[in-house]
Amino acid sequence: MSHQLPAILFLLPLFAAISMPVVCLKHRHWSLPISVAILAAMVLVSILNLYNVIHHGEVRYVFSGWTAPLGIEWVADGLASVIMVLLSALGLLGVVFAGPTSPKALGGRLAHYYTLILLLISALTGIVFSGDLFNLFVFLEVAAISSYALVGVAGGRALFAAFRYLILGTLGASFYLLGVSYLYAVTGTLNMADLAERLPFLLNSRAVVGGLLFIFIGLGIKMALVPFHAWMPEAYTHAPDSISPILAPLLTKVVLLAWVRIVFWVLNVSIAIYDIPILLLVAVLGTLAAVIGASLALAQRNIKMMFAYGGISHIGIILIGIGQGNQTGFVGGVFYLLNDAVMQAALFYIAGFAFFQYGIRTIDDLGRVGKKAPWLTGSLVVVALGMIGLPPTGGFFGKWYIILGALEAGDYISVAAVVLSTLLTLAYFVKLFESIFRQTSTQPDVQFGKIPLSFKLTLGVTSTAIIILGLFSAPIVQLLLNHALPPGL
Amino acid sequence: MIRPHDSIIVQTLGRFLIPVVQIFGLHVLFFGQYGPGGGFVGGVILGMGMILSVLIFGHDNTRSQIAKKVLHADGVGMLIFAGVGGLCMIGGGEFLNYANLEIPGLETASRRSLGIVLTQIGVAVDVAVTAVSIVFSLSAEEIIEDSING
Repeated sequence: MSHQLPAILFLLPLFAAISMPVVCLKHRHWSLPISVAILAAMVLVSILNLYNVIHHGEVRYVFSGWTAPLGIEWVADGLASVIMVLLSALGLLGVVFAGPTSPKALGGRLAHYYTLILLLISALTGIVFSGDLFNLFVFLEVAAISSYALVGVAGGRALFAAFRYLILGTLGASFYLLGVSYLYAVTGTLNMADLAERLPFLLNSRAVVGGLLFIFIGLGIKMALVPFHAWMPEAYTHAPDSISPILAPLLTKVVLLAWVRIVFWVLNVSIAIYDIPILLLVAVLGTLAAVIGASLALAQRNIKMMFAYGGISHIGIILIGIGQGNQTGFVGGVFYLLNDAVMQAALFYIAGFAFFQYGIRTIDDLGRVGKKAPWLTGSLVVVALGMIGLPPTGGFFGKWYIILGALEAGDYISVAAVVLSTLLTLAYFVKLFESIFRQTSTQPDVQFGKIPLSFKLTLGVTSTAIIILGLFSAPIVQLLLNHALPPGL
Repeated sequence: MIRPHDSIIVQTLGRFLIPVVQIFGLHVLFFGQYGPGGGFVGGVILGMGMILSVLIFGHDNTRSQIAKKVLHADGVGMLIFAGVGGLCMIGGGEFLNYANLEIPGLETASRRSLGIVLTQIGVAVDVAVTAVSIVFSLSAEEIIEDSING
């Protein structure tokens, strides 16, 4: 039974998504409790799966019983299983948050909205587990198409952002597919494990080099790496407030995971293309993203826009860790990815909460509520500590391992980039807090409504998780070191 | 809103052609195991038959009622597909490993055959529904206006 767990993880949200329009045809308000129940089940199954993988080794699941190079293979190794727990937990919280904040414009299409959310989560599960380049593309597209629809669901300005995202996202997917077809033409296989055996002998082939380049550009667009990040802040800012906390922590991070899988599992770590080590490329791109993303965040007045640019800079920091080519850096990068996903979710919960409860969209509005909003200010303080990277939050330990890894590799430019990006992060949070604590309000005290339970729950859980990830960083890092390292590192 | 086509030639030919198209679609669907064809192609042909009847006889004609009803079957094909896969998992095999299809009284060979036919029917239903719903959403101005005005 336990070998079925990866497939069950994928099928749970998929079945729920496709049966949602039929089940909720008459009672459209059932869609929220059903989604919550399904995602709660997913959290349980993913924890079981992680336990199983830790104790019995990785699971290779072949659909319809055809074995690996011929059939479609899913690989549930340590890394995928850890990310899966994160994905299902954040999906559950995201749906809990989505309840009261779903756009009013939906009306009778509420069931379809939850269908799209569940479809997005099942596609992300597929990206995490897929052991096959072409299936990765299929799941990338399913995830992308459902997120285009979810971004544009509220209409108005969001439609423009969604269209722009659609154009760039399709471009990214096409580049990826083109690259995969080059590799297929040369090697005749799409299975990652099989490719990993054949590619090292073929690196002089221009088709392989071109194909890899296309794959990297395609995935770079999908994960909003700096030269290709134009779609991301617009899409996350104008998406409904209930959707951005699901998209922001999961979409780019899961694509980054797919990239890591291709760089470390399909290609070898020490590979050089035309004398340029591939990991150097990763680290340089990460350095650029870390600094540029944080500087752009500093220039924003809209809260969601600022957080979205913060996410771009943190993708860069993760890449710096992963690109060092040693165990400390890799584990630091993955650990920071976990933390960053939780922090991004928390940031967008805060942004959504601030708008729904207090009508706040920009930094200047923050002064209106000031100290009268303990939940808002409290959770913002915790997330700020995590984003800046102060102990005892998880963000500190993530950055610590990344810097240790960079020092081990002697890459001082990366160390400087991490420190600089931290300082810039500090700067934009100082800007936020300055606005909160400088009471600009000249109006008489306004009474705000009671805070709904789902807001308290999501803000509370994510803030606690940021601190718990820090307090228990040692066992988590040990787990990653034991089970999530790529071969040959 | 699609109005009936006003040419008598098109109307008469449509009356002959549509049943032939439907039967050919079913043939392609069920003989896909033994020859060229299968769920996707069969579904496309079945969908084309329904689209043809909508284009020729218009939106409101009784001949187009099937196409309208089919729209509610959105996702049913996927459910058939998933149900077959789930039965295989209950039987102890991997998802869609038809050898483990949990239907009593069948040999392995006939289980595989039945499993493939059932999944192909699921695929065909979904493809047909998608084709028809694309035509309807391109033609129905009032639905689109509603969604724009919220």
